[in-house]
Amino acid sequence: MIPITAMPSAAAAAEPGPVLAVANTPVLWICALGVFLVIAVQSVIYIKAARKAAPAAGMSPQELRTSFRSGAVAAIGPSLAVVLVAIALLALFGTPAVLVRIGLIGSVSYETAAASIAAGTTGAELGGPTYTPEVFAIVFFAMSMGGAMWMVATLILTPLLQRGEHRMAKVNPALMTVVPAAALLGAFISLGLAEVPKSTVHVLTLLTSAVVMGVCLLIARLPGMRWLREWGLGMAILLGLTVAFLAQSAGLGPAG
Amino acid sequence: MSTSVTAAPAAAGMVEFERTTSRWGRLTMIAGLVFSLAGPLYLVFFADLGVTATQLFAGFAAVAGTFFVIWLVEPLTYFPILGSASMYQAFMIGNISNKLLPSALIAQSTIGAKPGTPRGSLAAVMAICGAATVHLLSLLIFVGLLGTWLISIVPPEVTEVVRVYVLPSVMGAVIIQAIVSLKQVRATIVAFVVAVLVLFVLVPLVPALSMVATAIVVLTTLVIGWFVRKREGAAGQDVRPEAP
Repeated sequence: MIPITAMPSAAAAAEPGPVLAVANTPVLWICALGVFLVIAVQSVIYIKAARKAAPAAGMSPQELRTSFRSGAVAAIGPSLAVVLVAIALLALFGTPAVLVRIGLIGSVSYETAAASIAAGTTGAELGGPTYTPEVFAIVFFAMSMGGAMWMVATLILTPLLQRGEHRMAKVNPALMTVVPAAALLGAFISLGLAEVPKSTVHVLTLLTSAVVMGVCLLIARLPGMRWLREWGLGMAILLGLTVAFLAQSAGLGPAG
Repeated sequence: MSTSVTAAPAAAGMVEFERTTSRWGRLTMIAGLVFSLAGPLYLVFFADLGVTATQLFAGFAAVAGTFFVIWLVEPLTYFPILGSASMYQAFMIGNISNKLLPSALIAQSTIGAKPGTPRGSLAAVMAICGAATVHLLSLLIFVGLLGTWLISIVPPEVTEVVRVYVLPSVMGAVIIQAIVSLKQVRATIVAFVVAVLVLFVLVPLVPALSMVATAIVVLTTLVIGWFVRKREGAAGQDVRPEAP
């Protein structure tokens, strides 16, 4: 799924080439920090709105805080995983582009695929000798436009879907509780099973992660162990990746 | 811990919440869009790299050819899960399936709220704000500030393993979390059967569908899940908060 062949070599990371000189210019940093700022502002506005609506939804301030904390703790594992992938791509795209493209908007698999597709149109290979500042500009433009299309689609479709949702909720309120749960299960189970055919290590990783989470949720039923519900995801990711690392070192990984 | 709220004020409060989040969600998303495009446009127009419009178009067209279906399908797939308010957060923050959805789900199960209810959507919004805070901070610190130093001390084999196996290491746990906290036996079975059929029968037969496999699974699970749902009185699929 990720057609990236050329990973940056250690040498490329050590001496900043012409691509990195362009990729780390101050203007790009400012734009990247702008996106961070926008997300921070949005979060503040949303938290305020949620606080205002909480009493009407039958939610205590304590429950709002708990939700925030749960979400934050649960995100630690996935965020650190994204960080590790992101720093590996620093030598390829420079810090600002990695922060916005890999770290935020979009995801690692989409962005790296988009980047190598765009580079391919110029006949260049990411990280190779043909990877010039000019190619970087084209790649960065194509990735960013791709990410922008996602946001445009969201901006156009959300109001339409919202209207549909209101109409459906009037027809049958049960729709609003059955549909999200079924959609969530469908999405996760599909994304998880899609990993199975990739390699034995993928299967081992998936199973380890599932077992660790299962054990964590069981232990979390004991008094005083509720925190494991939130930390379970981080542990599952860590142990899953450890098993992947060991299995890969044992030679079980996909060829190449 | 059943919170009985009279319908009228609850509805009014949520309408106000939806209005605020829709207006500001849209405005902030447009601002994010502008900032994210400003960088590459600066390079193209002011950095004197000699990039031609044809090259830019070719690059974008190649990406669009591969991904345009996903641009349309992903918002449609995630809307029933996220609800309108969180849509404007999720598609700007990114890493939706591997970070934001698990965070929202865990928060909902911690306070015993169901997705799709007002409590569920507020819990999801707060969880995504919490996840965004952690994510922005860890990116700024570990990638922005320490990135170049970290890459010199983290062995490349480690980052490579993370890159290749990050998805299964998240999804295994999240599937279990979803099954346990949603307690929807029928929908779970339906999702498994549909996913196996789509991924291991349909997609091998029609490889072109691999990009939209998740969307097909979600939609089919939705429809079948609706018809086989448990129908008990007015409460329908009401789920009690989990026993501690």
